[in-house]
Formats: sequence, C-alpha cells, structure tokens
Amino acid sequence: MFVSKSMTKKLITVTGETDILEVGKIMRDNKIRHIPVVDDANILLGMVTDRDIRSAMPSVASENFDSKEERDKLSRLKVKEIMTTDLVTVSPMYTLQDVLLLFEKYHYGAFPVTNDKGVLEGIISIRDLLRAFGSVMGIGNPGALLGIVADDKVGQMKKIVDIITAENISMGSILVARHWEEGKRAVFPYLLTHNVVRVKKKLQEAGYEILDPMKWHLDQLPKK
Amino acid sequence: MKRTGFLYDERYQYHDTGSYHPETSDRLPAIYRGIKEGGLLEKVTLLKAKHANIKWIETIHSNQYIRRFEEVCLCGNSCFGSSDNQMCTETFETAFLAVGGILDAARRVMEGELDNVFCAVRPPGHHAEHEEAMGFCYFNNVAICARYLQIEFGIKRVGIIDFDVHHGNATQHSFESDPTVFYYSIHEHPSFSFPGTGREFDQGIGEGLGFTKNSPALPGHGDREYKQLIHRDLIPAFEQFKPEMILVSTGFDGHEDDDMSGIRLSTEWYTWMMETIMDMAEKYCKGRLISILEGGYCIERLPELARNHIKVLLGEK
Repeated sequence: MFVSKSMTKKLITVTGETDILEVGKIMRDNKIRHIPVVDDANILLGMVTDRDIRSAMPSVASENFDSKEERDKLSRLKVKEIMTTDLVTVSPMYTLQDVLLLFEKYHYGAFPVTNDKGVLEGIISIRDLLRAFGSVMGIGNPGALLGIVADDKVGQMKKIVDIITAENISMGSILVARHWEEGKRAVFPYLLTHNVVRVKKKLQEAGYEILDPMKWHLDQLPKK
Repeated sequence: MKRTGFLYDERYQYHDTGSYHPETSDRLPAIYRGIKEGGLLEKVTLLKAKHANIKWIETIHSNQYIRRFEEVCLCGNSCFGSSDNQMCTETFETAFLAVGGILDAARRVMEGELDNVFCAVRPPGHHAEHEEAMGFCYFNNVAICARYLQIEFGIKRVGIIDFDVHHGNATQHSFESDPTVFYYSIHEHPSFSFPGTGREFDQGIGEGLGFTKNSPALPGHGDREYKQLIHRDLIPAFEQFKPEMILVSTGFDGHEDDDMSGIRLSTEWYTWMMETIMDMAEKYCKGRLISILEGGYCIERLPELARNHIKVLLGEK
C-alpha cells in the first residue's frame, strides 16, 4: 500500500532550459499532462503541466495571435519561466491512503515523488492510484462478490473468514459497510472462485443472512 | 421438422469433480432423462463422442498448455490451477472427447446431414483461456469449433451467442481482435459475478472493434430485462453482422432455481431465447446452428430445460 509500489518510475523529465513548444510536443507525443523539471543531479525543481503550457500561449482572441513576433517570443520562452515551483511532493513511503487524501485536498492530477534529498524518484497520478485500488479490490481476478449481514460485534469477521477458508476459497478483497441497520453491518468478500453455492449454504447454516447485492445497491442510492 | 442431432455419451460422465462440486456428472443423465421423457429421443439423431485431433485444440490453446494439462491429470492431481477446476485421471481424455464430439457434430451440419445439434458435453469450455484452465473449464469447446468451421469449411463469419449466466471470458479473449467471429454474451454483471469480466464497454480491440458485445444484467433481473437486452443489443448486431453459422454457449444457470447466480430467469425465457436464436439462424445461416452445453447446475430443472431446448431445435412449438 506504499506509493513506491504504485508510482510510475519510467519518467519523462525536462530541464528548466527546455523551450515550451518542445515540452508541448513531448506531452502530445507521450499522451501525458505532467512533466517534472529537474537539474543535472535529478533534483526536482518544478512541475510543468499542459495547463501551464496553454496559459503561456497567446489567446486566439488577441489581435497579434500567430504573428511572427508572438512565435519568436514563444520559441524563446523556457520551462523555468512558466513551471510551478510551489510544489506538493510525496515520499515513496507515503501510503496510498495518504495520497488519496492529498488528491482530495489539492485537486491536482499527479504528485512528484521525491526522497528526503529532493531527488525525483517517480510520479503518482490519479490513474496510478485507481489502478492500485483496483488491484487491492481484486478487480481483474476471476471471482464473485458475496454480501453477508453480520452482527456488529467483535469476532464476526473471523467466523466469516473461517467459513470461507474452510471451503478452500481465496479472497480477492473484503469490504465492510459499517452502518447497515441497527446493530448490523454488511460484509462483502470478493471470492476468487466460480463455486459459491456451498459457501453460501455454510454461511446461512451459521446464521448469517446472505444479502441480495441489489438491495445493498438500491439502499445506497440517494433518498428523494 | 428439423433434422436435429443430440450429442450424448456416457463417457462425458467420466470427468469426476469430486465429492462436492456443482459441475457434477449427474447433470448429463438429468438432461438425457428430460429428453427421453419428452418422447424426443426418437426424433433426434443420437451422436456419440469422438476423440479430437489435437491440431484443432491448438487453434485456441498452446501445445505447452495441453501437455501440462495431460501431465497434471495423469499424475493423479485433484485439481488443475485453481481449486475450482477439480479433476480425475479421466478428465484429460473426456475433454478431448468433448471437443471431438462437437467437431463431428459441426461436420455433419456443414455436410448437410443435420440442421442443428445440441451437444450435451462435459467439461464445459467458455472460461478456459489460451494457457489457463478456469471456472470448471479446460478446453474452450465453442472457440475451437468456431476455428474448425473457418479452417475446414471456409466459413467467413461465425456468430457466437453465450447465454450462460457467467461471461465467457476466454471466448471473448480468443476473438476480441478478430472481425470474423462475433462474440455476444448476456450474463450477470461482472461486479457481482464470476469471472468479473464482460463489461458493456468491452467491444473488441483493433480490427475486432465492434465485433464483441456484452449485455450485463444486474442481480435480481429476469425475463423482462433479459428480453429487453436481447432486443437492444443482440438482434441489431447480428442483423448487421449476418453470421454464416451460429454457435450457442448454452448455460442454464441463470434459472431462478439455480443457486449459481442472482439472475432470475424462468423456464419459459430459455424457450423464448432459443426460438429467437433459431429465427436468426433461419434468416442468416440456412438454419445451421450448434448449441454447446456450458453451465446449468439445478438438477431438478435441467430435464425440462433440455427438453424444451430440443423441442425448439426440432422446430416444435
């Protein structure tokens, strides 16, 4: 669950002296929107985004748009003049939960990952985060979702997991809806099996209610 | 009345999945009983299993995988890969007999001896990937049959309809880049059900874009929603594709009495579905159609479902 495991390590970087037309081309060619700006020692100096590039371009509404003068000015403009230097960086040892909260707080699309010496080690984007959470949830592995209503008291999860394990079934993930109904919570194990019939019966025999997943779905919809 | 074949062989019961497993050999006698009690055995041509030529299996699975399957099986292992795939020493041979029986049925249809066939085979196939056994499946019967028809008989466009309640991940993967095979599947939504694939937005890759279509249905849905999806997704897609041959991955596990899913289809829906498919076969494929058994685990319901299936193939109302 650490950033170091989920970040993009094969990076495209530029120096502060790169001109912005070149950076725009790199972004288009590689379909990326964030490029870290580094010095010769790979120390992070700033970030440049596609939005920074667009902001530096003359407005199409202006009179001298696409004039020779504007083109010359643009070709002389360097990344160091438009890059963001007031950066939020994250450590490779941050957890994915840390990063999720940072994305919520700052509304950025990606964070550069640096070590304690300021050396750039990677970049973590919302896409990287989604992929990491998808993997944690077991999406992509063949399996089936169960919904189980359990009493909201200590030890229930162990009993459920024991029943599943006794059936020799592996779990891709297990999610819990804590507030279900009075004194109850709902547990959603993602089972890596095609064969859910007997484990359902065993859970029912142990007194658990197997939930219609659609009931859960509908109950989660906003009330009118 | 149509000339309908029924592929049934006691050797398909030799694949033993152990003391408890839904994909049990009892499924086949239940199917046979239903057809017999309906007085239909005299009306169909009974076909027997045949050993497949490995070259056809290699159109979908790697030789290395086939050899590994053989080794794991003959060494007496009780499962292959995931513990879902329970097996016995006869499983490898049974899987060869399933493919061989289906290809023999396909040949008879192509040579004009029969109009259509219901292949009541085990083990099922649509989850078996190029290099991996999965979800009770070892060889992808329907995918191998599609390649056989193309190579041996020059069929240009094969349409596969998969109404097993689970998505046929491996059939989709086999043909997702291929515009000559259209794969359509209707199944319980992958966020709830095995194998977790078959999203509505999976529509093929590269040249195959537009030749894969998935209709996921939510748990609790039944006849009404399934019929709407078939009208919205399948019928227009096949109208455009115009398959020369239709293969059906027949799974009865979306029935309301089958514990394997949250989908609640009635017995009547299965009849309606086959009648709809038969209409398409008449329209595009001179009536040629091969139905291949996948899932369906409610032993009490299988007789009536199989009986109705054969009745529709025979053209009986």
